[in-house]
Amino acid sequence: MSDKPDALTVRDHNTLFKSPEYQEQRERKKQFEGGSSPEEVARVAEWTRTWEYREKNFAREQLSINPLKACQPLGAVLAAVGFAGTLPLVHGSQGCTSYFRGHLSRHFKEPVPTVSSSMTEDSAVFGGLNNLIEALGTSVHLYKPDMVAVSTTCMAEVIGDDLQNFIASARQKGAISEEIAVPYAHTPSFVGSHVLGYDNMLRGILTYLTEGKKAKSNGTVNIVPGFDPYVGNIREIKRLLDVLGVKHVVLGDHSDSLDSPATGEYHMYPGGTPLEAAADSINADATIFLQALGSYRTKEITGKWDGETVMLNPPIGIANTDTFITEVARVAGVEVPDEITAERGRLLDAMTDSHAYLHGKRVAIAGDPDFVNGMLGFLLEMGMEPIHVLSSNGDETWATRARGILAGSPFGTKATVWPGKDAWHLRSLVFTEPVDLIVGATHLKHLAREANVQLFRAGFPIFDRHHLHRFPIYGYAGGLQLLTQLVNSILDEVDRNAPDHSFDIVR
Amino acid sequence: MAALTKIDAAVLFDEPACDHNRSKDARTRKTGCPKPKPGGTAGGCAFDGAMITLVPIADVAHVVHGPIACAGNSWDGRGSLSSGPTLHRHGFSTNLGEQDVVFGGEQRLYDTVVEAARRHGPAAVFVYSTCVTAMIGDDIDAVCAAAATATGVPVIPVHSPGMAGSKNLGNRLAGEALLEHVIGTVEPAFTTPYDVNLVGEYNIAGEMWDVTPVLGELGIRVLASISGDARYADIAAAHRARATMVVCSRALLSLARGLEKRYGIPWFEGSFYGTRAMSESIRGFVRLLGDDDLTWRAEALIAREEAALARVLEPYRERLAGARAVLYTGGVKSWSLVSALQDLDIEVVASGATKSTEEDVDKITQLLGPDGIVIRNGTPAELLRVVSETNADVLIAGGRNQYTALKGKLPFLDVNQERHHAFAGYTGMIEIARRLDLALSSPVWEQVRAPAPWDEGDAGHHHSVSPVRRPVGPVGPVDGVDEDEVPEGDADDDAGGAP
Repeated sequence: MSDKPDALTVRDHNTLFKSPEYQEQRERKKQFEGGSSPEEVARVAEWTRTWEYREKNFAREQLSINPLKACQPLGAVLAAVGFAGTLPLVHGSQGCTSYFRGHLSRHFKEPVPTVSSSMTEDSAVFGGLNNLIEALGTSVHLYKPDMVAVSTTCMAEVIGDDLQNFIASARQKGAISEEIAVPYAHTPSFVGSHVLGYDNMLRGILTYLTEGKKAKSNGTVNIVPGFDPYVGNIREIKRLLDVLGVKHVVLGDHSDSLDSPATGEYHMYPGGTPLEAAADSINADATIFLQALGSYRTKEITGKWDGETVMLNPPIGIANTDTFITEVARVAGVEVPDEITAERGRLLDAMTDSHAYLHGKRVAIAGDPDFVNGMLGFLLEMGMEPIHVLSSNGDETWATRARGILAGSPFGTKATVWPGKDAWHLRSLVFTEPVDLIVGATHLKHLAREANVQLFRAGFPIFDRHHLHRFPIYGYAGGLQLLTQLVNSILDEVDRNAPDHSFDIVR
Repeated sequence: MAALTKIDAAVLFDEPACDHNRSKDARTRKTGCPKPKPGGTAGGCAFDGAMITLVPIADVAHVVHGPIACAGNSWDGRGSLSSGPTLHRHGFSTNLGEQDVVFGGEQRLYDTVVEAARRHGPAAVFVYSTCVTAMIGDDIDAVCAAAATATGVPVIPVHSPGMAGSKNLGNRLAGEALLEHVIGTVEPAFTTPYDVNLVGEYNIAGEMWDVTPVLGELGIRVLASISGDARYADIAAAHRARATMVVCSRALLSLARGLEKRYGIPWFEGSFYGTRAMSESIRGFVRLLGDDDLTWRAEALIAREEAALARVLEPYRERLAGARAVLYTGGVKSWSLVSALQDLDIEVVASGATKSTEEDVDKITQLLGPDGIVIRNGTPAELLRVVSETNADVLIAGGRNQYTALKGKLPFLDVNQERHHAFAGYTGMIEIARRLDLALSSPVWEQVRAPAPWDEGDAGHHHSVSPVRRPVGPVGPVDGVDEDEVPEGDADDDAGGAP
């Protein structure tokens, strides 16, 4: 080992390239690169922040730059892991599956068991039948699932693979037994987003499991969380229903599947809705959807069930949670216990404590359609003023709903709703009409840093902050969680920017 | 008591300038202000009072001689801002332990003072006694004298153990320490005929910086501010001022009177809160400094500032007009703020007078009119009762009452020491208007006042507040209960909202 004093200092990428030799090298290389002068780069960068550039940017018709959405099969994988003993199988080329596992793992900080049918060039020519049969046989043999939920990538969809037939063939050929459940959903990435993929897969699973199970009412209430990036939400909803004394089944419960304890052992399927319970869901008194916009495919089948179907905005904030509680109490015929009224009162108390720091803050918000609409309710309740409301995978139906929510509050009058726009549009919006805060997922961090605006991380995906998804943002307890994070992140900023003499102990 | 504080509290309390005291008979006058009542949730102690008065002196090392909590609980808890040194924000303590209580803490105090002086080079060291060091009998005067000799830095003993009495007494004891040990020990570099002292101005949220430029425009120089954004040497030279203004503080009347008695400096009482109060304070200085030219210039400035302010406040006045406010503060603020609020067309329906003099109460009554309520008992339940009775829209009070107001589901504006916004002077008036407007228009209030949807049937149990300010419509898919339809709450029920 060297005896130099700094021999033990290992310089990584944060520090290494700041050292003089690299700095010099970088300068010397510029003569060969033919790049523009720093002044020119700065000038153009500044121009891209102007209204003139914004108009050009919004005239974009074909190109998407930094769209804020994932694809259908990723949602299908999340829907599948919400059921007990279920192995997601994505029929298509295996790179896609690798992406889904990586994407979900980075957000949930958990392993995500998913297999692929590993299609290659020959299967693209001759069809993916053999790949799917082999994949089903191998994965069932290796990983012993009770159910395999099959979704598709673009490749399988472009060549027109027929999952229903393929799965039947696999059974005929003896690759899998008749007992094992194999629901499926066609989930091309070139249609919709991860939200639709979740919906499609859930519909496929429920269609398969409930077939022929219709009987008399089982006295339960079904809860459908939809594509929910917060495992804490699902836990909180279950807790609220327990407190309400309502017998319930969560359809698509990934709260344990993607948040399992470290026990020293690896369980491939650590949680999920029991398949028998899911099969019996057809006999529930009611099915309550917590993401109205992202559930219309599944609603088509629950609408045919005997129980009532209730579509809700996500229960974020007071009014949205009030609706949720009221609706559950109504369909289940129960009284709301004082315990929940007290929880509600505590959130209101906390809101009064903190409102002064949030009131009037200009906000840009981006994310999945239901998430954005749920959050809008809470932001408006705190007197925050949404300015830019954007959803890459939001359509006109979403936009109309969002505008309705905004129109219900004088704090919503400054907002413009932008369906189908991307993060590059948002960048132009934030530079031309500045905001105090951006609410959204990790991918917004670049534009937030460039615009020197604080990013409040919420939604999907959150890769660069830990454990946010383990805590709820739903319900009154979730509202408190959200409020705490929100006001404290703003106070952090107040402190960071405070001159010494205003760096106060009490806020 | 005299032994504990080195100052006869009875003498301190025999305050001829205090009209509250003057109104008592000869015997009760000597007993001074009422002692803290056991079992009441009273305010701070004498130690706290002394710290409040002196700690804003920014270039001084404030050493608390006692166990940790006295320094710890008061450390940096107030928003007195400094434009320069920040030494006052360090919490220096001798951090006494059990051994010190048995064997005495004098050596530890001496070492602490010497170390603080050596490490931080303060303009002076202030040493605060506490209950424990007063009881074990540490001779703080002797230690301070020895440490001053050793360090060459003034070391000022402040005899204000908590058990000596109320916070108010602590303010006086602190003022006494300044008179005894500090004021008159330094000569100012230069003097002007318009040098003045401010007593009881603590530069909360930097609000003094909105006042001094206005005075400066008239040539009035604040020689010593006691003690917001103060420097030791300036206070030490306070005896050369030509006038003293006592700002919103009956507690430091004794200091103003001491300055008059010892150095012949005339004084007056005033406030910087509200347009009229600010203008009256300028006139107060002008009167004492007695100068025709100054009078003329001051009136021109007042006319100009009031006209400018009226223009800026117009949009706020439109938004705030008709709002009903309950004011709960002490002393001069209880009426000076009334005029500030009335300047905004806000209807003040009640004002607290717990810490006010009879003269203050007269002024309140005069300003509020026959229907105005004077709150003499400031318990949370009583405050909420008055709020309910008067259908108030907003409570304006100190931070301690903030959370009471919030339980009462009432918008709240903090006007006491912990706040973060500068309310003094003409500029501060705009900030008061802005903050009130924000407080009143937050959508949180509508949410908080509406009952839970499943409780709509018995909404009468909820505190109901007048629907004057309803800027926000219902949010989300569920309609909130219309405020107009909520029956008036039973006044007795409202106490339930108080902690």
